[in-house]
Amino acid sequence: MTSVTTGRAVDPVLLAVLSNRFESIVREMTNTLLRAGRSAVLNTARDFSCSLITSGHELLASAEGLPVHVIGTEFLAEAMADLHPEFAEGDAFLHNDPYLGNTHPADHAILVPVFFEGEHVFTACAKSHQADCGNALPTTYMPGAKDIYEEGALIFPCVKVQSGYSDVQDIIRMCQRRIRVPEQWYGDYLATLGAARIAERRLKELCEDHGLEVVRGFVREWFDYSERRMVDAISKLPAGELVGRGTHDPYPGLPDGVDLTVKVAIDPAAGRLAIDLTDNPDNYAGGLNESRACATNNVITGVFNSIDPDVPHNAGSFRRIDVLLRDGSIAGNPRFPHSCSMATTNIADRLVCITQAAFAELGEGFGLAEGGLGMGISYAVISGNDPRYGGAPFVNQIFLGSTGGPGGPVADGWPTYYLPVAASLMYHDSTEVDEQKYPIHVFEKQLIPDSEGAGRQRGALGSYVSYGAKGTPVMLAYTFEGHENPARGVRGGHTAAPSDGWKLDADGQRVDVPMAATLEIVPGERVVSITGGGGGYGDPHDRDPQLVLRDVLEGWVSDDRARAIYGVVLAVPAGGGELVVDAEATAAVRA
Amino acid sequence: MGHRIAVDTGGTFTDVVITTDRGELWVGKAPTTRERIWGGLGDALTHVAGEHDLTLAALLAATDVFIYGTTRSTNAILTGGVAKTAFLTTAGHPDTLVLREGGKLNPFDFRQSYPEPYVPRRRTFEVPERIGSEGEVVDPLDEDAVRETLRGLPALGVEAIAVCLLWSIANPAHERRVGELIAEELPGLPFTLSHELNPIIREYRRASSAAIDASLKPLMQRHLGEMAADLTAAGFDGQLLVVTSFGGVMTVADVQDRPIYSVNSAPSMAPIAGRTYAPGEGSVIVCDMGGTSFDVSVVRDGQVKFTRETWLGEPFTGHMTGLSSVDIKNIGAGGGSIAWIDSGGLLRIGPQSAGAVPGPAAYGLGGTEPTVSDASIVLGHLDPETFLGGRLALDPARAREAIERVIAGPLGMTVEDAAWAILTVANERMVTAIRDITINEGLDPRGGVLVAGGGAGGMTIGRIAETLGSEQVLVPRTAGALSACGGLFSDIVSEFSISLRADTGRFDAAAVNAGLAGLDAQMDAFFDGLGTPPEQRGKEFIVEARYPFQVWELDVPLAGGRFDSSADVDALVEGFHDVHERVFAVRESGQQVECISWKGRATANLPKPTLPTRPPASGPPVPRTTAAGWFGGDTSRPTPRYVGDTLAPGHVVEGPAVIEEPTTTVVVLPGWQAAVTTAGEYLLTRADPGDVAAAAQTETVVAA
Repeated sequence: MTSVTTGRAVDPVLLAVLSNRFESIVREMTNTLLRAGRSAVLNTARDFSCSLITSGHELLASAEGLPVHVIGTEFLAEAMADLHPEFAEGDAFLHNDPYLGNTHPADHAILVPVFFEGEHVFTACAKSHQADCGNALPTTYMPGAKDIYEEGALIFPCVKVQSGYSDVQDIIRMCQRRIRVPEQWYGDYLATLGAARIAERRLKELCEDHGLEVVRGFVREWFDYSERRMVDAISKLPAGELVGRGTHDPYPGLPDGVDLTVKVAIDPAAGRLAIDLTDNPDNYAGGLNESRACATNNVITGVFNSIDPDVPHNAGSFRRIDVLLRDGSIAGNPRFPHSCSMATTNIADRLVCITQAAFAELGEGFGLAEGGLGMGISYAVISGNDPRYGGAPFVNQIFLGSTGGPGGPVADGWPTYYLPVAASLMYHDSTEVDEQKYPIHVFEKQLIPDSEGAGRQRGALGSYVSYGAKGTPVMLAYTFEGHENPARGVRGGHTAAPSDGWKLDADGQRVDVPMAATLEIVPGERVVSITGGGGGYGDPHDRDPQLVLRDVLEGWVSDDRARAIYGVVLAVPAGGGELVVDAEATAAVRA
Repeated sequence: MGHRIAVDTGGTFTDVVITTDRGELWVGKAPTTRERIWGGLGDALTHVAGEHDLTLAALLAATDVFIYGTTRSTNAILTGGVAKTAFLTTAGHPDTLVLREGGKLNPFDFRQSYPEPYVPRRRTFEVPERIGSEGEVVDPLDEDAVRETLRGLPALGVEAIAVCLLWSIANPAHERRVGELIAEELPGLPFTLSHELNPIIREYRRASSAAIDASLKPLMQRHLGEMAADLTAAGFDGQLLVVTSFGGVMTVADVQDRPIYSVNSAPSMAPIAGRTYAPGEGSVIVCDMGGTSFDVSVVRDGQVKFTRETWLGEPFTGHMTGLSSVDIKNIGAGGGSIAWIDSGGLLRIGPQSAGAVPGPAAYGLGGTEPTVSDASIVLGHLDPETFLGGRLALDPARAREAIERVIAGPLGMTVEDAAWAILTVANERMVTAIRDITINEGLDPRGGVLVAGGGAGGMTIGRIAETLGSEQVLVPRTAGALSACGGLFSDIVSEFSISLRADTGRFDAAAVNAGLAGLDAQMDAFFDGLGTPPEQRGKEFIVEARYPFQVWELDVPLAGGRFDSSADVDALVEGFHDVHERVFAVRESGQQVECISWKGRATANLPKPTLPTRPPASGPPVPRTTAAGWFGGDTSRPTPRYVGDTLAPGHVVEGPAVIEEPTTTVVVLPGWQAAVTTAGEYLLTRADPGDVAAAAQTETVVAA
């Protein structure tokens, strides 16, 4: 094999122009899916992603996609070519198989091979989390499922769902028979397919405008450019080996929780990172097992969270990261038929946080604290029948109260974080929209003072949400995490307040509930969701006293906590009015 | 019809455009005076009047309509100059303004701080009450608690109050009562009730509308009052109208009542101007480019595109106005954008800008980084000597040095190639913005006409047209004052809306008709208040609708204002399928539609001035000079430079060429030609050999 070493195939200006064009195509896909999607998971939480993959199965572009979704979509395209070597123009494939490169069964990916002048050039991929995927219970999260059979999801190992631009009706009928609220599923299928088909149209236009040779040349150059950026970013890190550890809370089937280990080897001279996930427990009989796609993208997300955010996120930069997985590990390649129902959240969130917190050990300015973990009862999948709409059935995930984001080297955490794997990208629900769409009533939705992990940059506050059923019983399926092992701080930053949850019965008495359960609530009852805050970065005594003052005035941090934890003394000025920092007293406390 | 005056007061300059009773178009420009707007404005008008041997008083006395566009409210928000505002909301839900709706641009970027809420939490107060989603009273309003809260506000220095209670759109009783209590406890303190201002579902958007509106009331009520008084004192007794974000104008009283309508209003006039300059076109894409920002808006079949999602500042981290307003896509790109090479060797433009100070390297005011303007100078598109009428001498050597040092050297290119590359990459960002706003609306950006406005518009629009594949580009002679021109041709527009859920599968026509009748009555009252004669009243009804389970609505125009039969409902459903397919490429025939809210848009049509025509050319076009210009490639081409005033209808200028107007510079690329229209605008089209021959013939005829 010869390699061309002389000159550039694509001039640097075209490189800038075409990279912009590919990102723009992904944004158009994204906009389509967000606006046309039916279930709240898509149209509000934007729990979906769009990506463009080369004919060599390398991820090329993924503007604004959820980190947990995007990285690894190239495995899906690979499966398409392996299983359907005869794939042709007009085909589309439905893929949700976690043993074959997908994230978890609730994520339905639609793959559209894109041809130009008879040649396969790209694969467009739109992947969306379904409101329901045919599980044994009305939820897409099945922590207690001991295997794929008990989980019950319909699995499509990259199955042809369109041929000649027409639906394969057998597949559509299967889904409509087994997925709850089938018209919602079909609407989401149309939106997802529409996004992939729009990409197909635009990619053909782009090949038309520039010619295939230039486009292929661009792809090579763009990966090389991205690799150079990654090399540059790694070269700025200190050399060393990091070992990050953390523990997932006890869960059904996991009485002691899960101890997790992420080992990172940094070689700045060679411009390489190696991440080793082999030192983790075996698969177990429950739904928290990671898929290959998730385990890989979680640790890569932790890396990207810790370096220059301007480095492109594609196969070119991935060349510089080696991820080592072990077959049959809870944080590795899953062994069939272990369930991966919750592969995108629980262990996944832990791996993201452990990785970014490990980077903080490199020194000041590196890494991030841990972010608030797990989904709360405020993110339950709710289902039932709504008497206001003629008893129409509904099943959907709600998003009413976020966990707190992590403190970092320069900024405080964001209170709209939701999950480490979602990183504030998702939207959250309007109380009014939820109450109109579902028979629920939201009593409270607010941030919890003093729940942050204190730090020089503090974590964000957790949230308090309470809601109940209105006029009819409602089924909730929820999980929460970070109750026993809340988000930890780094570099002297503090651990945040934990998550929690309970039910209030009709008399207002507190009733304890498990951390993961399916629960029916009837009118008069309500559930309370406490989501954890984010961990802090750096010593709270180094926090700018003016920021502490702001936090106290805004009610985020109490006066007592300002003094006890941040070492900041506030006082009413002599003439009265708003609090001010007592600089002298503060210096004395901090000394 | 008497004179009509439109002014657009920006942060730095005020544009004045006047159409006279004899059909002439006068244009003027003056520095904006911040303390009392009339100072600079009066001077500018005096100056323009003087050029035509009129006194200011005589000009104003003969003027029927004065249209006032101002960025005062937008600037007050961006610089924190608004009133100290309190926010009253339902108990248990105090963080609506803090949490917004979520979302972020780059998931891997943890260096950005979370934005502060529009009203700080320390001035947010929870009101014990609750209305349910069906309008039922879940918890009664605790009036004593409200009074106690209100009595505490003066000590906090509160100057305005915004009230947004959950479900006030379903039952406004509590919100209305809080309004009464404010009037009793704090008489004279301005306040805004969310259901009166913007009755839409989604508490964040409604609360944000109310908070922004209330915070502007003290400032804008005073400002507009002074403006009206100053105008009257100067001899004006016609109608004073204020430009709004609806792409129309409103009376001073209406804008004083709802000052949020004046926010982001100037850009909303650009598509109105575009529609006027390119009438009868299927679609018009209007690009307005100044030194630091590039705005795009779209007109489709004569209808300006609207959006519910207007952010002040960046999406997700700014503040959403929540109102339906003209859709403006804005990116930070302009002549001041800085070019640089990143660590991977890629040429990047922006987001850093040299702005006006220190400005591009060629300004010699301390800027050393190469900018887009520097590239234009190196390429011979901008003449260093005539820039801004020669008011600022540019140093081309500094521009060359900066581009050589930062771009050309590292990339191993000639300075001219590097300059061309800078324009290419800058162009790509603008083209992306145009693609986003058109394609997201299902419009083919290649169709229709591109209209260029703003000081830098004429220089950049040619590349944009080439990249987009456009066939026609219009550069108005008054491109530099596009928003003010739009004001001249605008109507009085107001919008009324109600939230009323109706599903077409079990359509309650009586309820919907009652709602629509309410909108109809509001529109009639609006017209009556203005004294609009029946033939000038325009009413449009629009439903915001979605498929079942969706949450984002699409605007669907209704054929009429009532549902008399099931055929009317079918027409609505069909209309929705069509819009959904246009925007999202898929339709679900047979599916029912959920109607969420209904809008009535009332347009009081103002008589329009006619665009003046200019006398035809009486000889061939004569360039001022011919200099070297670069348009890609290593060699320069002789490029004639024309003074705009010497060009007349019938003239055709072939590219490469440059036309210098007082407020903009038009670059005609090789392969293009610019024809002067009867109104004196420049119409750029691709010059194929046949056209060139025809153009040559035209010139011959004119010359003869």
